[in-house]
Amino acid sequence: MSAPNPPRWAEALLRLLLAPRDRQTVSGDLLEEYRENIYPERGRGPADRWYISQVAGFVLRGNWLWAALLSGSFITRTALDWFVPPKDFYIRSMASTWLAIAFLLCAGFCAAWRSGLLRSGALAGIATTLLAAAISTIGTGCLFAIRHDAATLTAIQESGGLAEVFSLPIMLVIPGLALGALGGIVGVVARRSISSY
Amino acid sequence: MADVLGNFEQAVLLAVVRLDDAAYGRAILKEVQMRLDREVAAGAVHATLTRLEQKGFLISRLGPGTEVRAGRPRRFYSLSTAGRRALNDARAVVDKLWRGFRWPLKGYL
Repeated sequence: MSAPNPPRWAEALLRLLLAPRDRQTVSGDLLEEYRENIYPERGRGPADRWYISQVAGFVLRGNWLWAALLSGSFITRTALDWFVPPKDFYIRSMASTWLAIAFLLCAGFCAAWRSGLLRSGALAGIATTLLAAAISTIGTGCLFAIRHDAATLTAIQESGGLAEVFSLPIMLVIPGLALGALGGIVGVVARRSISSY
Repeated sequence: MADVLGNFEQAVLLAVVRLDDAAYGRAILKEVQMRLDREVAAGAVHATLTRLEQKGFLISRLGPGTEVRAGRPRRFYSLSTAGRRALNDARAVVDKLWRGFRWPLKGYL
């Protein structure tokens, strides 16, 4: 019987998250633990879940900073729109859009710089957006729970409504992928230029 | 004292000392889990090892892979002089804080 293997997609994901020097050693450590300890003790399903949770930990560790900044800017913008509504949303809208673009480009750049792989940038863009969406949903939910008087409800309606606030972070996944990939291209090119210099 | 070590950093460095020649990623993870008596994510240990190596507290070298690792190499870690000094400093700080007290504190344990 051949040795058991964790899900191939999870292994591929892990490799995208690691620096070249760690790609073989860290994935080897996890594979060894999976085969020698987790799989014999727990069986296929739980062992695969363990492996995926370990990879998720690497995803979280690699993207939490950009996700925190992105969700922080989104929650701040929402709080301002709800509690200090402006006459014209244009300036705030432009500021929060460009901040989001900058954070996603940075996330892609850093991931690709670390791994030397273009795909890492795209993955960072998606991961950052999804993590930020989760944090933003909780954050804006808390804002709504704290204050939902008549004036705030009017401000919410005038700023686009609750549906927009909760759906917008999820709708950023595709732009997140594109921006992460763009940042990734810059990251890979910068890394190659510096290493060849 | 240039750099104060956190508890988790101390746990990782002490695992490297305990494991001696066998201190590689997975063995360090298991040692840390055993000493702290809780599940620890591989990513947390890996990030700490990388940070400690960047600070100059650890030195690493590659070792051969095995069949169970699909031939992938192991990275073995050892303590540098700066790492030993940092651990000694961390212990000295704790000793200094506790000087004059009897442990366990009466009424707490």
